[in-house]
Amino acid sequence: MSNVSHSIMKKRIVSVVLIAGLIAVGLLGCKTATQQQSKRLTLAVNSGVEGDALKQAANDYEAQTGIHIDIAEFPYTNLFEKELIDFNARTGAYDLIMLDDPWFPRFASKQFLADLTPLLQKRGQNGPDKDFVETSIALCRHPYQTGNLYALPYVGNSQLFFYRKDLFEKYGLKEPQKWEEVLAAAKTIHEKESTGAGGNRIHGYVMRAAQGNAAVADFMPIFWAFGGEMFDASGKPIVNTPEGVDALKFMLELGKVSPPGYASFNADDVGAHLLQGTAAMSINWPAWIGPFSDPRKSKVIGKMAFTTLPAAQKEGKAEIGNWLIAIPRDAKNAEGAADFLLWVTSTEQMRKSAERGNPPTRTSLFSDSQLVAKYPSYPAQLKSLQTSRPRPRTPQWNEIENAFGIFLSKANSGELTPEDAMNQANAEIEKILQRGQ
Amino acid sequence: MSAMKRTAKYLILFLALLVAIAPIYWMLTISLKTEADQFASPPRWIAFTPTLSHYYDAFVERSFGQYLVTSALVAVLSTAAALVIGTLAAYALARFRLPFDLDQKLSLWILSTRMFPAIVTAIPLFLMMRDLQLLNTRLSLVIVYTGFNLPFVVWMMRGFFAELPRDLEEAAMVDGDSRLGALRRVVLPLVAPGLAATAVFCLIVSWNEFLFALVLTQTDAAMTLPVGIAGRVTQYEIKWGVMSAAGAVAIVPILVFALAVQKYLVRGLSLGAVKG
Amino acid sequence: MPKSRKSYNAASKRDLVFASLLIAPAIAVLLFLSIYPLAYSVWISLQSETANGVSIGLHNFYRLASDGFFFTSLVHTLVFTTAALTLEFSIGLGLALLLNQHIRDRGLFRALLLVPMMLPTVVVGVVWRLMLNSNFGAINGALKQLGINTEQLTWTASPGLAFASVILVDVWQWTPFVFLVLLAGLQAIPQEPYEAALIDGSTRWQTFRHVTLPLLRPAILIVLLLRTMDLLRVFDQIFILTEGGPGFATETISLYIYRTAFRFSEFGYAVAMSFVLLLITNVISTVYIRFLQTRESAS
Repeated sequence: MSNVSHSIMKKRIVSVVLIAGLIAVGLLGCKTATQQQSKRLTLAVNSGVEGDALKQAANDYEAQTGIHIDIAEFPYTNLFEKELIDFNARTGAYDLIMLDDPWFPRFASKQFLADLTPLLQKRGQNGPDKDFVETSIALCRHPYQTGNLYALPYVGNSQLFFYRKDLFEKYGLKEPQKWEEVLAAAKTIHEKESTGAGGNRIHGYVMRAAQGNAAVADFMPIFWAFGGEMFDASGKPIVNTPEGVDALKFMLELGKVSPPGYASFNADDVGAHLLQGTAAMSINWPAWIGPFSDPRKSKVIGKMAFTTLPAAQKEGKAEIGNWLIAIPRDAKNAEGAADFLLWVTSTEQMRKSAERGNPPTRTSLFSDSQLVAKYPSYPAQLKSLQTSRPRPRTPQWNEIENAFGIFLSKANSGELTPEDAMNQANAEIEKILQRGQ
Repeated sequence: MSAMKRTAKYLILFLALLVAIAPIYWMLTISLKTEADQFASPPRWIAFTPTLSHYYDAFVERSFGQYLVTSALVAVLSTAAALVIGTLAAYALARFRLPFDLDQKLSLWILSTRMFPAIVTAIPLFLMMRDLQLLNTRLSLVIVYTGFNLPFVVWMMRGFFAELPRDLEEAAMVDGDSRLGALRRVVLPLVAPGLAATAVFCLIVSWNEFLFALVLTQTDAAMTLPVGIAGRVTQYEIKWGVMSAAGAVAIVPILVFALAVQKYLVRGLSLGAVKG
Repeated sequence: MPKSRKSYNAASKRDLVFASLLIAPAIAVLLFLSIYPLAYSVWISLQSETANGVSIGLHNFYRLASDGFFFTSLVHTLVFTTAALTLEFSIGLGLALLLNQHIRDRGLFRALLLVPMMLPTVVVGVVWRLMLNSNFGAINGALKQLGINTEQLTWTASPGLAFASVILVDVWQWTPFVFLVLLAGLQAIPQEPYEAALIDGSTRWQTFRHVTLPLLRPAILIVLLLRTMDLLRVFDQIFILTEGGPGFATETISLYIYRTAFRFSEFGYAVAMSFVLLLITNVISTVYIRFLQTRESAS
């Protein structure tokens, strides 16, 4: 009796092991099979309009060439993490990545990205097209402006200043050229429009001040205009100079005429306020202004005007914020990736993308008559791009932005005085730099 | 109890229920509202025209269907593995008094591994999976989830086994059964309800898990539903409709399962300390 | 439950082998997935990256001592745990005591009440983030309808309110759990002690203190243990609700560790911090389990 049950048990064990093995192979197999097909590419994109533009282009590519592109979509901070993990772990999960230009110095300095020049040369080009906007291409070189090419720019964002021209007309205000004019106009509108239609007041200004990238990106233009600099000539952090503190104080002044809760606003909050018509002025990226003319989303169609960034002690400089596309050094299908990269940044494809609302990075497209007819802000955008300045090109930008953003956020929520916030921020940035030594 | 007291108690209970359910209801309405309605002020509690566009967007146009499959696959496989390994161990620990009180000590040690904060093991497990080249695979999730379902299974099943009379196996073995045979034929059917309840708990925990999935997955090939939902928290124009639709679908299996194991619910939640 | 009646002495060698075979796979899995990672962590925590490569030593632990953010996040975690635990326990116990009578449709109530805790934490985070949006969320919308001025009620924007919000969300999700377990515990208490106390002429409070509480002890302890462990390691909801903001106000230790590891790639330092967290949870859980154990052996 026990002999029979023994052999039954043996059979059972064997079948269990077999099934387990099949499952394991099935699970693992899913991964290796797809990677081996050279007709597939994996692209990591940002969750948002920028990523959407690239996703649509990827669909077009597939329709045209039959090569399938798997999209991995992540929100901003997650995307950075995933890409960094992929580089560190050398998993080669992505063949192409989208990256925000401030991330570029870190990725490039650690040699995570493939040098594009050999790949371009194989395809008959000696370098990037001259048509690319110079400041955009400069971002793709490491060292900045002069070094090897490791990426190509795709989303040609450079900040613009937006304001409600209907409200400005109503109160006889002129287009603001200086930040003090911005504040004065904001205060006027804020007081006069304290009971807007439907019980919602109109605020004079709105900005992003959520800790991290949001706060820093919206603060830098003010910081620079007031004469603040993050680093001095020798690379020492100097955010707590009187100019820097003044800039932060000014930001707090703007905060007083901004919607409550701005201290944790992200882009969607800013967008919502502008679209609902409850805020009158803001800094914004051109990639996000599409909805302004969408009747399903916008209550301010035809009322938004734009200009270049205001000045203070120094002339107003927009902050450039391009999204780049690069090929990881460990990409499994680098050649296929290079083909796609050149295709998607070609004039024809960028034009299509521009028609869908994506700001291009090619000079010729900014003066294309059809596009300019559709996007009257193009000339201003090009000027902004060409005169913009980037955020500091340090490989530790990520930590610095994080720390700086925390202190900006604390100042805006009232937890720290502007002096304390800048002093502590400076100390923290020094610590970060030292750790990198 | 006076009628007033009784109505007061029912009122409080009703209020508690309202607080518990209202946010879910709100999420359901968001998933069915057009974008304009979603942000209407004052909020549209009941009257709005529903639309299924967000569900379509999530599951057909975006990859939420794939996330759903991954979540289900990983949950089922890891639960099955944990059940098999855990139940066997639980049986042994419940039935045999090992030297040096090992059965007590082992049980407590197994329970203690449940107490680790996830982040403590997440980082080394991430590095281990990277070294094993298993990053971004469903297999890695199954392995990890088995690991943290296992202590729970052992602890729960041990309790269920311990309730059975000792003579049970002896009677079967007198009839010529081996120990394993007795286990299979006699004991297991008796703890089947407990087994089912434990299985459901493991399924729910695996289904809901977030941190490990966040850390171990990189592309749609392996992402689970919670990670997919979190990924919609974008910088601009958060797609609340899509997120709510995915969230609504994410909670359906849970509600069904939870209703099914209602009887063992409290017992499971309190790790057997309280028999509900 | 005296052990000798329900379990065998593994006297015979065959029994011992059988038992060991059954237990071995479980032990193996746990060793691989819980113990080995910890050992590996020790190794990782001793590595820190400098510009000249990887150096082995206690740098990461020294860094811990001077990292203000680390201590702040610890404080946040402890405050969060204490506040949420107190609220969940008092509300849960209060409700359980109040409703510990015959309730019709008990099953239905129970099923509905357990919905919050069964939800994926991510979904909970999303729902509440939606509702707490200061301009378009349901909470402020409802308050506005009641005539309350919500201009200053920027839930996730001001540090104090954000902290309160994350506590609120956790209380919402887990009070039903506390309630259900304590209710079950209460209903398991037999009638005799109460009758005895009644005859003795005890007041309600005395009955509560000397009859109810002691008999409820196992349930209370397990609830406190499980909630404390969960609260100390909180991550998911805060990740979605506030991402640790505004300005670090809701950053808990798990979030800080995660950020250090996966955003700044400083695995060694992150692991060193996680050891501190592990130590804290270990100490607390040992204390609790010891209480539970004395209970078990006494019965």
